[in-house]
Amino acid sequence: MTPLFAVSGVRFAYAGQPPCLDGISFEVPVGERLALVGANGSGKSTLLHLLDGLYAPSEGSVAYLGTALSQRALSSAPFGPRFRQQVGFLFQNSDAQLFCPTVEEELAFGPLQMGWGADEVARRIEEALALLEIGRLRGRAPAALSAGEKKRVALASLLVLAPSVLLLDEPTAGLDPRSQSLLLEILEALHARGLTLVTATHDLTLLPHLADRVIVLSEEHRVVADGEAGPVLADTDLLLAVNLIHAHSHRHGRLVHSHPHRHVVAHDHGHDSVAGGEEPPEG
Amino acid sequence: MTALPEWLRLDAMPPGTPPRAPAGNRALARTLSAIGRALAPLVCDAGSPRVGPIEDADPRAKLVAAAGLIVVATLLHGLPALAACLALALGIAAFAGVPARRLAPVAAVALASALVVLPATLNVVSGGAPFLTVWRPARGTLGPWRLPEAVAVTREGLLVAGRIVLRAAACAALAAVLAATTRPHRLLGGLRALGLPQGFVMVLAMTERYLAVLLQAARELHLARLARTVSALGVRREEAWVAAGVGAVFRRSRALAEEVALAMAARGFVGEVRLLRPARWRGRDWALAAGAVAAAAALLLIDRGAP
Amino acid sequence: MHIPDGYLGPQTYLPAWGAMAPLWSLASSRLRRTLSFRQLPMTALAAAFTFVVMMFSVPLPGGTSGHAVGSVLVAVLLGPWAAVVAVSLALAVQALLFGDGGITALAANCLTMAVAMPFSGWWTYRLLARTGRATLRRRQAAAAAGGYVGVNVAALATGVLLGIQPHLARDAAGRPLYCPFGLRAAVPAMAVAHLLVVGFVEAAVTALALAWLERTGAALETPEAPPSRGALRRLAIAVAALVLASPLGLIAAARFGAGTAWGEWSAGELARIAGRLPAGFQRLAPLWRAPLPDYGPAGAESSTPGAHALWYLLSAVVGVAAVAAAAYALRRLIARKGRDDRPA
Repeated sequence: MTPLFAVSGVRFAYAGQPPCLDGISFEVPVGERLALVGANGSGKSTLLHLLDGLYAPSEGSVAYLGTALSQRALSSAPFGPRFRQQVGFLFQNSDAQLFCPTVEEELAFGPLQMGWGADEVARRIEEALALLEIGRLRGRAPAALSAGEKKRVALASLLVLAPSVLLLDEPTAGLDPRSQSLLLEILEALHARGLTLVTATHDLTLLPHLADRVIVLSEEHRVVADGEAGPVLADTDLLLAVNLIHAHSHRHGRLVHSHPHRHVVAHDHGHDSVAGGEEPPEG
Repeated sequence: MTALPEWLRLDAMPPGTPPRAPAGNRALARTLSAIGRALAPLVCDAGSPRVGPIEDADPRAKLVAAAGLIVVATLLHGLPALAACLALALGIAAFAGVPARRLAPVAAVALASALVVLPATLNVVSGGAPFLTVWRPARGTLGPWRLPEAVAVTREGLLVAGRIVLRAAACAALAAVLAATTRPHRLLGGLRALGLPQGFVMVLAMTERYLAVLLQAARELHLARLARTVSALGVRREEAWVAAGVGAVFRRSRALAEEVALAMAARGFVGEVRLLRPARWRGRDWALAAGAVAAAAALLLIDRGAP
Repeated sequence: MHIPDGYLGPQTYLPAWGAMAPLWSLASSRLRRTLSFRQLPMTALAAAFTFVVMMFSVPLPGGTSGHAVGSVLVAVLLGPWAAVVAVSLALAVQALLFGDGGITALAANCLTMAVAMPFSGWWTYRLLARTGRATLRRRQAAAAAGGYVGVNVAALATGVLLGIQPHLARDAAGRPLYCPFGLRAAVPAMAVAHLLVVGFVEAAVTALALAWLERTGAALETPEAPPSRGALRRLAIAVAALVLASPLGLIAAARFGAGTAWGEWSAGELARIAGRLPAGFQRLAPLWRAPLPDYGPAGAESSTPGAHALWYLLSAVVGVAAVAAAAYALRRLIARKGRDDRPA
């Protein structure tokens, strides 16, 4: 079975800057929920851009269903438009993603680029607005929306294309709780229908909802772990080493809490803090 | 964590520093309010939609009506017709419930024009029979110029000056009513629906879209400056701050443009702009357009009729 | 410097629209070549940036403050054609969305602030920045000079546009219909204000912002489209065709019995037509003896039509060669000085 994405030996550097990805290789099978985790600056966001064919790697290759993502492949029909329809990218900066004058036009942008009929476009817009509970925002300008509303509009503008893969860059950063839970609910429902999810985040609390498999990127821009979410997140030494948790974080099952630096504090939860060297508690 | 420095106690001032007199922040405050005024129509949206026949009308109809009337205003010669045009514009503003502050630019234009053309009211510029003598230099000399018998306001001068002031005010009022009764993105969408090239209108729409972002960035810069300004910095440092601010906004613009380009590519944009079909004109849109045509014809008739 | 509606008559603002239309079209096609699919968002952001620059209040000595236009800054940072589009869009947004600046006068304002200003400022910058070593100081000074020149050229153009109104449109009684101040008043008024005050505001903003961006590491090489070889070949073919067709003028003139074009008379012809030769003419006429007077050696006009046409053709070739040589020499001169630059 051809993997959805095949990344092999990828190195990448922005023009005139030190490399932000240094020898990355992995595969993403269809239907997987993968999380790329790493501290800020580890290159996970850039890796997502490479998966979406927005940049070309300096070395190595990225392939989608067996086809290498090159300039030529992306500008040729039918691969180019199909790729854009099948792979949706949720940008971290919603302001960059919402570039149309109104919410309605934003949702219409993708389908119009695909050349779909006006009736189909209108129907999908209606239903996407309803799904994301943003019907009342239809005629609004993006500048008038809150962060949560912008993120919902951004997701809706991707979903109207009925993608089979979603690449999410820090999807819940700065979101209010209601927007966040709606987002996660929709993503789970979509995954049940077979959607592949690749999320880049440094927020480990998201992972139970968004990932079965985790790839950890170090601050040296390399893959230091690649496996099921449970075992990877249990490796606290590793997480400490890559600056994903700090010495006063502690684990509770698959969740990770952070507490401020206070040595003398009574925990109600009944577990001990994980400072360097101490044994993590069970469960 | 290293220990807190000794001087980092609450309210600890270095010994011997007298409190400085606060600087006037008038320029900063003025710019901030100008930015706020510019942001208002871009950001304040359908929160409280003022529903009226003018607001509701199709932006194309409003654009055509306003532009047409402005062009007609530039064709009017006589003071009565121009005054009627101004009255029409103000009347529409009142009918549509435009708040007075949205008409402030009209007053500003009228005032500025009045000042600029003031010399044109004098006989030395416009000629004609004196009406109100201002100065009697009685053929003296001022440097290289020979002065006339009397410097006076003339009827011709008043006519010439009045023309400009009324016309400028009328055009400004029409433009202000258009801007105040149409949300910016609808206005620009109206341009596209009128047949202007799609790429051009898309750029215009995107300019409006990101203007708010950049204005907010500029406002933050100014607020940060305001929050830390205690005394005047002197012209050079202030200019340097302006330059840094402009540079920062440029950097932001460039980064945002790159990201937007990627976002557009990620959704299939290959260079050809495709937009939604605009709605059809309704009865009231035709009525508005017809009303504008009738008003224009009436104004021209008044003008040709009067001397 | 923004001209509001009502100051310019249709005789001025309509031709302004006519002049801007091809310029806008040319500018956007230039941008498409250099920026490709990035053109759309980059242009929009450049326009929004220009708008914001116009809002910054720049302090002046003496406690007052002024505003900069920013066209020259945009031209230096993104290229003059990008500036044409960006400033035009900023002016359009100002006029339409904020009622600031005229709608009928939009094209005229674009001519002054979106074409004359960025190009004159950019040429000044390039001329000054490319002579000698291009250190940051030199580029800063060049940018300041560019800003100063640009805004004054725009002010001059604005003064001219306003000043010609009384000459173009008067009512039945001879009173001016639009701007009442003629060239003798409008041009000096605009010029003085901008030479003495506004020019320095623009110079300061342009130079300092450029310096800040360079110091803090933003990439500043303006993307310039390489001239396509196809275009040069097409130009050569067109010029050759025109050269070959040049004797047609002679043939047509002979056919229709037309004399010398109006106003292009020689001294002798003028004396015959006017009855006498004006004194100035008499003094200046012998000053320069052309090598090929009337596009042929002396006596060519009276030779056979075939020979005359051949001389005409030869003159065309000589003329084209002379212009091409001059252009090439100038280009080499500028390019040589440019090659001495190293980016700072």
